[in-house]
Amino acid sequence: MFRFILRRLLGFGFVLLGVSVFTFAIAQLVPVDPAAAALGAKAREEQIQAYREELGLNRPIWEQYFRYVARLVQGDLGESIRTRRPVADDLRDFFPATFELALAALIVSLLFGIPLGIIAALRRNNWLDAAARLIALIGGSMPIFYIGLLGLGLFYRQLRWLPGQGRLDSTLTPPEAITGLFTIDALLTGNWPIFQNALWHLVLPALTLGYFSTAVLLRITRSSMLEALSQDYVRTARSKGLREQVVVLRHVFKNSLPPIITTIGLTFGSLLSGAVLTETVFGWPGLGKYATTSVSNLDLPAVMGVTLLAAVVYPAVNTLVDIGYSLVDPRVKVE
Amino acid sequence: MRMSFRRVHRGLSLLVLLALLVACAAPAAAPTGSESSSAGGEAAASGEVSRADTLIFAADITDILTLDPAVAYEFSGIQAEGSIYQTLVSFEEGETGPQPLLADSWDVSEEGDMWVITFALNPDATFASGNPVTAADVVYSWSRAIELNKSPAFLLIDVAQVTAENMTAVDEKTFAVKIPKTVSPQVFLSVITFTVAAVVEQAVVEANAGDDMGSTWLNDNSAGSGPYVLSSWDREVQVVLNVNENYWQEVPAMKRVIMQNVTEAANRQAAIETGDADIVQDLGPEQKTVLEGNPDVQIVSASDTLLIYIGMNAQVAPFDNPDVREAVRYAINYDEIIALTGGDAELVQEVIPAGFLGHTGEIPFSQDIEKAKELLAGAGYGDGLEVTALVPSDYPAGPIDFPTLATKVQSDLEKVGITLNLQQLQVSELLNIYRSEDAAAKQMVFILWGPDFPDPDGNMTPFTNYAARSIAWRNGWDDPELADMAAQAAIAETPEERVALYADLTERLFHEGPYAILYQPIKTFALRSDVTGFTYNPSDTPAITFAEIGK
Repeated sequence: MFRFILRRLLGFGFVLLGVSVFTFAIAQLVPVDPAAAALGAKAREEQIQAYREELGLNRPIWEQYFRYVARLVQGDLGESIRTRRPVADDLRDFFPATFELALAALIVSLLFGIPLGIIAALRRNNWLDAAARLIALIGGSMPIFYIGLLGLGLFYRQLRWLPGQGRLDSTLTPPEAITGLFTIDALLTGNWPIFQNALWHLVLPALTLGYFSTAVLLRITRSSMLEALSQDYVRTARSKGLREQVVVLRHVFKNSLPPIITTIGLTFGSLLSGAVLTETVFGWPGLGKYATTSVSNLDLPAVMGVTLLAAVVYPAVNTLVDIGYSLVDPRVKVE
Repeated sequence: MRMSFRRVHRGLSLLVLLALLVACAAPAAAPTGSESSSAGGEAAASGEVSRADTLIFAADITDILTLDPAVAYEFSGIQAEGSIYQTLVSFEEGETGPQPLLADSWDVSEEGDMWVITFALNPDATFASGNPVTAADVVYSWSRAIELNKSPAFLLIDVAQVTAENMTAVDEKTFAVKIPKTVSPQVFLSVITFTVAAVVEQAVVEANAGDDMGSTWLNDNSAGSGPYVLSSWDREVQVVLNVNENYWQEVPAMKRVIMQNVTEAANRQAAIETGDADIVQDLGPEQKTVLEGNPDVQIVSASDTLLIYIGMNAQVAPFDNPDVREAVRYAINYDEIIALTGGDAELVQEVIPAGFLGHTGEIPFSQDIEKAKELLAGAGYGDGLEVTALVPSDYPAGPIDFPTLATKVQSDLEKVGITLNLQQLQVSELLNIYRSEDAAAKQMVFILWGPDFPDPDGNMTPFTNYAARSIAWRNGWDDPELADMAAQAAIAETPEERVALYADLTERLFHEGPYAILYQPIKTFALRSDVTGFTYNPSDTPAITFAEIGK
């Protein structure tokens, strides 16, 4: 296991190196002079030249790349052109919101997707199965922002059961930042009202964002369960006289877990990217909104920072999935 | 085998537990969205200020980059700072010319080729700390803005031509500044109503200077003399202002103002319907229609000083021919464009916006297809022509978006034989091209302009002076005679003289300039019916005076 993680970390380094080349190349290809973009409309030519000199933009391209990597290694992602703050600070401010939302959405999809998938498989072709498949169909075909708007219209505007915007009521003060996840921080600082409020603000965005992955998980669980149900060992288990509950949970579900776990890993990635739309609809101050604003302002350092962060998170999640995989399927050795 | 299964099973149980937790928390937290409990003041969680004493202003405030008055040049940042910091003079609703604020009175005298403007500061004026506002603080604040030299500094440096050497603290409450006679004292006074000339408390800022003269510190703290102090700025989320208990004038009714970032118009509509917000800014025609019948909501519309216009590059064919530019102006159906905005725009065809000194209100152009065709034939384009227009894809042209507007103009121009190829670009990319030397790449541009300071010169110079490298330059239009007239109009001594000069300029710009000015957007606000004292005055800084609002 230890060697596996070590190997993974090594591979991770290569991924990062590739991404650094990639983001650097993108910056070179964009037809914008970063100095002119940073200094704005009223900059004079000599100011632009001085800035180019300061950023090293007049140096050979390989030297620029090495400077870039050298700064990255020190955790310096450059300064955002728009916010005029270190990109690392911006990411630290906005990533936790996205992470909390994606995590909540993942929980939603696990809570609904897997049980519904199991039920659909066990009650194949009756009305429950049909209903589950309809949910999956809607989830797979309706755009996230549309579901979000419907949810807001119904639960916030009409019924007023749920809050509409942001991570917390605007009259409340965010909990002291420990992890940056409001729910966790509120619990850690023992602030129960903030915890409730933060959780309450999470419900609608998490349901919206989690709907698509619920649908995916439901389908995968159902088909994986169906395949397992038709295996000989299930017949053997039943003929041994085991209780149906034991057969289903221990023999069928356990054996249908590997594809489900793979899907969960992939899903988490798509949740992070799906957060862009959800964040816009729900005014959620996360990385997705930060990324879109940065792109529309041609804020290259910020865009490169977000890309790098994504490049760290995806392989990390994949590694976790591989470890989880080896835990449920002893045939898979992580060594 | 067994173990791993248990582990999974345990994981699932944990999830179920979490679900139960959500369910438990739900009923207790549910009322937060509803009106009754939020008005009841959940003091325990929100600090000492109840919801009834809190004004929630919801708007798209994503533009805030800084809360240092010497650095901010964004609408929302200026709105926040205008309640924290004060300037020597300010514009007031219904008054012409600047009115006293930190300065009680001022006096303009001559000294060689310089104007000397001497301000007597209000003896009662104090900072939130309780210390008096002194002339030394004014010298420090302006010198600081000039030295920092960030986005708005050009107003002091280039427009007002203030230098650190020319400022004097005559005594504790007397401040004098010398400016060259090429600058009109009226323009100077207009410029210093802007937040870049706001006064910060020297001792406090210097004590927290860091390596950027306190700029970073001022993002989360304040050192002003205004009715509010900065409580917190949660980036992209909200700015919270608390009342300045030591305020030297009448302490405002609202103990706390929350400027909440709500980027989607639909969410702003919902926020005012539910009462989650007391005021929302910028509603589209659809939201306005829905809210108009709502007894809990009042709609307030106010003209903005923005101009939506088309620039036609006078350096390249076909717009190097003034008749082709004139033909475009006659081809456009202005009334239908106003209708397209749902009436949320004011028809304006001159470069000085309504609400400013020198605005004439003249409407010389209305659609005249025959005349446009004649002009085109006379210019040698009788068989039609093709033009590429740059259009911001992601930017509002007031109540509608630019692509909608451009498509409408495209169909109008089609009728006179001009084929418009619309090239949609992100606004930042479009501005890059518009500001570049490449005239051929910007034959025609759909864009907007907002004046830098509330004086006709804030528009006239950029629109006429090629050497200023602003709008006239971007459209390749160089007319030294008009530029000279604009310079004269700026420094003319009496308002009457200026009005007469601007009227002549406006008349000539209509037909000679490279612009088709389309409209001035009207900003729409929705207020809860109990909100009082709200006005929107785009010439004033801030445009909305939170301190006058009650409920």
